Amino acid sequence: MKQTIFKYILTLMIGLLWASSVNAQDDQLVVIGNPESVPSELDLQQLRSILKGEKLRWNDGSQVVIALMKTNTTIGNHTSKRLYNMTGNELNKYFLALVFQGKVKAPTFFNSTDELATYVSQTPGAIGVLQNPNEKVLKIILVDGKKQI
Amino acid sequence: MKYIIAKHIGFLVDIDKRFRYIILLPIILNFNSALLAQDTRIRGFMDVGMNFEDDQLNFDLGEYDLFITSDLNDRLTFLGETVFRYDLDVDAFEVSVERVVIKYNYKGNHSLLIGKHHTPINYWNDSYHHGRVFFPTVERPHLFQHSILPIHTTGISLQGQNLGKLRFGYDLMLGNGIGSTDLKDNDKFKSITAAVHIKPIDNMRIGASYYSDVISEGAQIHGQLIDEQINQQLFTASIAYFGRRFEVLAEGTLSVNKASSTGSVNSSASYLYAGYRVNEKLVPYFRIDNLDFREEELYYDNRDTTAFVTGLRYEINYLAVVKLEYQYDHMGGMDSLNRLNFQIAIGF
Repeated sequence: MKQTIFKYILTLMIGLLWASSVNAQDDQLVVIGNPESVPSELDLQQLRSILKGEKLRWNDGSQVVIALMKTNTTIGNHTSKRLYNMTGNELNKYFLALVFQGKVKAPTFFNSTDELATYVSQTPGAIGVLQNPNEKVLKIILVDGKKQI
Repeated sequence: MKYIIAKHIGFLVDIDKRFRYIILLPIILNFNSALLAQDTRIRGFMDVGMNFEDDQLNFDLGEYDLFITSDLNDRLTFLGETVFRYDLDVDAFEVSVERVVIKYNYKGNHSLLIGKHHTPINYWNDSYHHGRVFFPTVERPHLFQHSILPIHTTGISLQGQNLGKLRFGYDLMLGNGIGSTDLKDNDKFKSITAAVHIKPIDNMRIGASYYSDVISEGAQIHGQLIDEQINQQLFTASIAYFGRRFEVLAEGTLSVNKASSTGSVNSSASYLYAGYRVNEKLVPYFRIDNLDFREEELYYDNRDTTAFVTGLRYEINYLAVVKLEYQYDHMGGMDSLNRLNFQIAIGF
């Protein structure tokens, strides 16, 4: 009897661990960039600073253009929390305030990942955040040496 | 979009269909490329409210702020802000061009700006000014009244932002001075603004600024005639922190007005705002204002003021904020003010 209960508990725990690992994989974000100007590797602190609009130009002088999924999408929500440490609402407020002050250009927000990927691939200096992008077509930016964050 | 344009223009040109589309193609392509090259966005801010004072309920319409930004190319941008508001003096709505700024980002995070600006003299003026949806309280602090701060400057400036680890920023501005118009300076003297700030941690900004101008004899300042030349210097310091839980904003300005009849006269104005975010939407807050003028002061109205507001801010989302606030003002030579304010401020 005890052995049977133990088996059930063990199975349940393994199941929970598997489910959480699948979820964690689903949450992984990938940073993509236009082949022109955007560096191939950044550290997380640099990435956060760039995404917050604190850097206006890349090292070659071209404009930094930020592309994000809308904050009401799952990816947009993850991006807000993990890279900005903000809720979607806070992120929108943050950029609206900066635009009102005339300090930065607002990110371009997208409803679909395909639209975002196309925009980044066609816009010099563009950097964006996605999940599971088509690696053959897009330039993936390594963050702290990793493809996924 | 292309189809609609082709269809409309097509009706105007009565030629063979094949040639019509050949003619239309470059027009359509040009129109489309113009749209892509220029990114223009129109936004707005508005507030409405009511207040209860002297046993009377009043409804009021706030400022209707039209805000336009446009990227002319990847270095040249435009920002325009026009406010429509009711003017009690003329008993009608007036239109006020609050900002017209052409900005050229010449290198890295350094830019050259020309036009009519919010004078970058302190945090509130640089960050909020007419966007009441951003205001932490219903109205501006008293520091913005009594002509203490030159809140607008028409001129040219150099700006830097987020430089180095401390995210250092600067503004150096040369402009038409106090008493001048947006078209012409009223004298040969120019105002100078020099402001610096750092952002040592997220959500915090610490800043200081210096403003200098010569206010000429005969200048009209908000309806008041200046009958003696005044050399004005303003020293301002501010600290702002809007964190997850706590919000603090404190600013102070020391004004040194020098005239031949009075010598140097110092006056000061300051306020302290603090709020505590109970949850994502609700923030109880208070603000204390203090204005202290010397009797010899020639330039200000010399009404020493102590004021206190306390209220609740409910942020429906980043585009809609509701505030309920109690306001007490004690202003020299006037009856004390006790008022309950309610405001809905929106952005769209």
